[in-house]
Amino acid sequence: MADKKKKRGKRGGHHIDPSIKPGSFKYIWASVSHNKGAVFGMIFLAAIIILSLLSPYICRYSYSATDFINMKSWPSAEHLFGTDDLGRDILSRILFGARYTLIIGILSTLLSAVLGILMGAIAGFFGGVIDAFLMRFLDIFQAFPSLVLAMAFCAVFGTGVDKCILALGITGIPGFARLMRANILRIRNTEYIEAATTVNCPTWKIILKHIIPNAVSPVIVEIAMSISRNGLASSSLSFLGLGVQEPKPEWGAMLASTRNYIRDFPYMVIIPGIFIVLTVLSFNLLGDAFRDALDPNFKE
Amino acid sequence: MSENKEQFFELQNLTVQYHSGNSIIHAVNDVSLSLNAGETLGLVGETGAGKTTIAKSILQILPKNSVENVEGKILFEGKDILQMSDKELQSIRGKAISMIFQDPMTALNPVKTVADQIAEGYRLHQGCSRAEAKEHALSMLKMVGIGPDRANEFPHQFSGGMKQRVVIALALACSPRLLLADEPTTALDVTIQAQVLDLIKDLRDKLGTAMILITHDLGVVADVCDNVAVIYAGRIIEKGSREDLFDHPTHPYTCGLFAALPDLEKNVNRLSPIEGLPPDPSVLREGCDFKERCPYTCRKCDEYNNEMIEKTQGHFVRCWRAAASEQELAEAPRHDGSHHRGGHHGKEHHGREV
Amino acid sequence: MIRYVIKRLLIMIPTLLAVGIIMFTLMNFVPGDPAQLALGSGVHTAAEIEAKREALGLNRPFIVRLGEYISNIFLRFDFGKSLVDGTDIKWELMKRFPHTAKIAVFSILLTIIIGLPLGIYTAVHANSVGDRISLIVTLLFDCMPSFWTALLLVLLFSLKLKWLPSSGAKSLEYFILPTIANSLGGLAGFTRQVRASMLEVVSSDYVTTARSKGLPEKDVIYGHALPNALIPILTVIGMRFGSMLGGATIIEVVFSIPGIGQYLVNSINNRDYNACTGCIIFIAFAFAIIMLLTDLLYAYADPRIKAQYVASGKKVKKNG
Repeated sequence: MADKKKKRGKRGGHHIDPSIKPGSFKYIWASVSHNKGAVFGMIFLAAIIILSLLSPYICRYSYSATDFINMKSWPSAEHLFGTDDLGRDILSRILFGARYTLIIGILSTLLSAVLGILMGAIAGFFGGVIDAFLMRFLDIFQAFPSLVLAMAFCAVFGTGVDKCILALGITGIPGFARLMRANILRIRNTEYIEAATTVNCPTWKIILKHIIPNAVSPVIVEIAMSISRNGLASSSLSFLGLGVQEPKPEWGAMLASTRNYIRDFPYMVIIPGIFIVLTVLSFNLLGDAFRDALDPNFKE
Repeated sequence: MSENKEQFFELQNLTVQYHSGNSIIHAVNDVSLSLNAGETLGLVGETGAGKTTIAKSILQILPKNSVENVEGKILFEGKDILQMSDKELQSIRGKAISMIFQDPMTALNPVKTVADQIAEGYRLHQGCSRAEAKEHALSMLKMVGIGPDRANEFPHQFSGGMKQRVVIALALACSPRLLLADEPTTALDVTIQAQVLDLIKDLRDKLGTAMILITHDLGVVADVCDNVAVIYAGRIIEKGSREDLFDHPTHPYTCGLFAALPDLEKNVNRLSPIEGLPPDPSVLREGCDFKERCPYTCRKCDEYNNEMIEKTQGHFVRCWRAAASEQELAEAPRHDGSHHRGGHHGKEHHGREV
Repeated sequence: MIRYVIKRLLIMIPTLLAVGIIMFTLMNFVPGDPAQLALGSGVHTAAEIEAKREALGLNRPFIVRLGEYISNIFLRFDFGKSLVDGTDIKWELMKRFPHTAKIAVFSILLTIIIGLPLGIYTAVHANSVGDRISLIVTLLFDCMPSFWTALLLVLLFSLKLKWLPSSGAKSLEYFILPTIANSLGGLAGFTRQVRASMLEVVSSDYVTTARSKGLPEKDVIYGHALPNALIPILTVIGMRFGSMLGGATIIEVVFSIPGIGQYLVNSINNRDYNACTGCIIFIAFAFAIIMLLTDLLYAYADPRIKAQYVASGKKVKKNG
């Protein structure tokens, strides 16, 4: 019996006060803060953001300072993560470089979320010709693997942080638009909207009280997932030389510039990769936790 | 009931618990039932009373990852189903015992033709060739009124009533000795319900199958069943022959069920529903489960040990009133329940007239 | 069914046309003079550049060039010539495509061979130890950038163990590491999608029906649950295949495989916009064909969809 109880405790997961209403901010917070993965994600992201902002002040070396005496030195007390081929301190570069992955991931997601939600909402609300036109237009975007589309935009816009944000932002529009459109169509056809309409609930109130709260949850989850995807994509583009370029210490660019030394100095390649993984993982875990918190019906 | 004859089918103290989140749901509590070969037993109760759980535990097809505990004995022709190996269970399922499911819309596999779905089980149990099984499936479909031209169609091409016919053909394909019919007509249009019920009745008589019919429809029970068991909050509260229950309903809940039926003979403004809701299934109670809703609740209920009382031979009731004398009943006057019922009453009454 | 194929093709063509028009237009407005590029580095006189412009046909109106480009591609499958070395882009693409296709096909096969059984296993044994381990491992794989995975694989299997080559495309063994690197991320997502789809199906009523017929558990899972779970998975496989075609780009760069992705990256870096546009349109073609095949398979696998398409096909005929 004791054994069974233990099993149930593990599976139950949440120990949220049943008096908290599902859907309220308090509930979401309670659920997310009980999720070990999400807590790890939040702590890691908070730490990396703070350290990245403070890195010019707390690091012993500038991320760009070359040191030709200490080139390619393995991790030591002097250089915790070692130095690269030009003698630059990898720790300083990693911490400073976090901002690129985060800024590109977050701003490009914001761009695609705002435009995508707008387009999806318009298509969903108005339907008909507008819907058909917008959807055919988005079909064109989805005629490519997303990485190739981002590369195409990079080719057009050129390189740099802002261009990279633009390229990934545009690439992400169709995903949000389709999500939002499906959302609106789903909600519009539910019986509770019908019920609200039959009791003469004004349209603005239906939109405000019923449609938006129900459309928001999948969007929030998608935002977290999109930040992680775009962070990953930005390092891929930079690795290919199409995104952020040297000497900026973007993690993907760092990998590209040191990959030739992998045989003798593998730390140069392994360390930036670990940070990419941890950052992407943090956003993924947060997204998963939000999904569980926002949708009580969602089962694994 | 004769002692020397081996009981065809018997449930002894069946108890089933589910887990949900951090609480345990007591779905079935200490249910004992018996059934002779060829007989039909009606299992009556409201939604959530544990009827489907009983049927599914007989076939051992309860959702594995939410079942906490199954206790008691399920004796089929003398063997305990709960003690059987997977192999033994598989040889019984669909052959000796089969089940008609509540919702025909979801009970059929959408990517297989209906004939294949029927033939599959038959071939498994009879060990015959594919062609023979198909032949048999066609004859089963014919028996439920579906022509061979539709046999190779997929479930989505059938209407609800037709799907239920397919489900019935599937359940009867191996001429089972016991048929579990779980609300076979609930999901169907009213006009189709009678047809499907007649079909089940005819086939039962033709094949001599024993049946446990799960329903919340007393009309169906009166039509089809030899014996009836009324179940409330996972417990049997009254069981007996059809005549016992229909002519002498004793438990206040059973009486309430009958009172809730419309009667064409009488001119009443409203039906009398049973007030209140079924109790929380995550709490296991010592005494009577119906106490909170019962119009006769009194001090005596607290003294009662909640055991079944045999009122007349074979007619069991889980209420002290079954053994009480006229005088005792008179001393425990009907509870007026005004503190929570009065206001409600008036409003609903008004509502109906308008 | 044939009607459905034709209908899908008719939807595909305008999309591809639009892709061609948009790509050509975008590349046309990219800063930098193609004539200058075609002449190569060094200082050139205005007259030289003007002559080159004339030779490349750049002085004609935009709309004429667009029409010519599009009709060349769609009618003659001619992508023009590279600005940098003047080679025929079509032949370059045809030469390189088998490498890219190999990576994408091997990757999707590896994904299916590992992901499908693992997804089924974890769904059938949900919440078991194996399920938990698989969940954590796939979550990690999902977050690994493929170029990093590729570099780690090279480090371990080429440089340290010396088992496999680290660059080139001479024989099949050169494709082992690229395939693994290209698959791991997608494999993780795929496994979880199979698991989710399977979990949903396993608890459905018709699986209970199958069990109640007395079928052995393996027949219930593989005969009844799996075919239904596979229907949505087909679409997922198509999408994954498409994204693996894109992912091959990075992998080709890491392993120096002369595929289309490498060509694309090189041409972007060399500002060879003719080649770049050609690559992108070519990839869009391949992608569209994969999606078409996926849709057809999907329609074939699900009798409900099949019936729907047959019905809508009739409608199209009536209207046409």
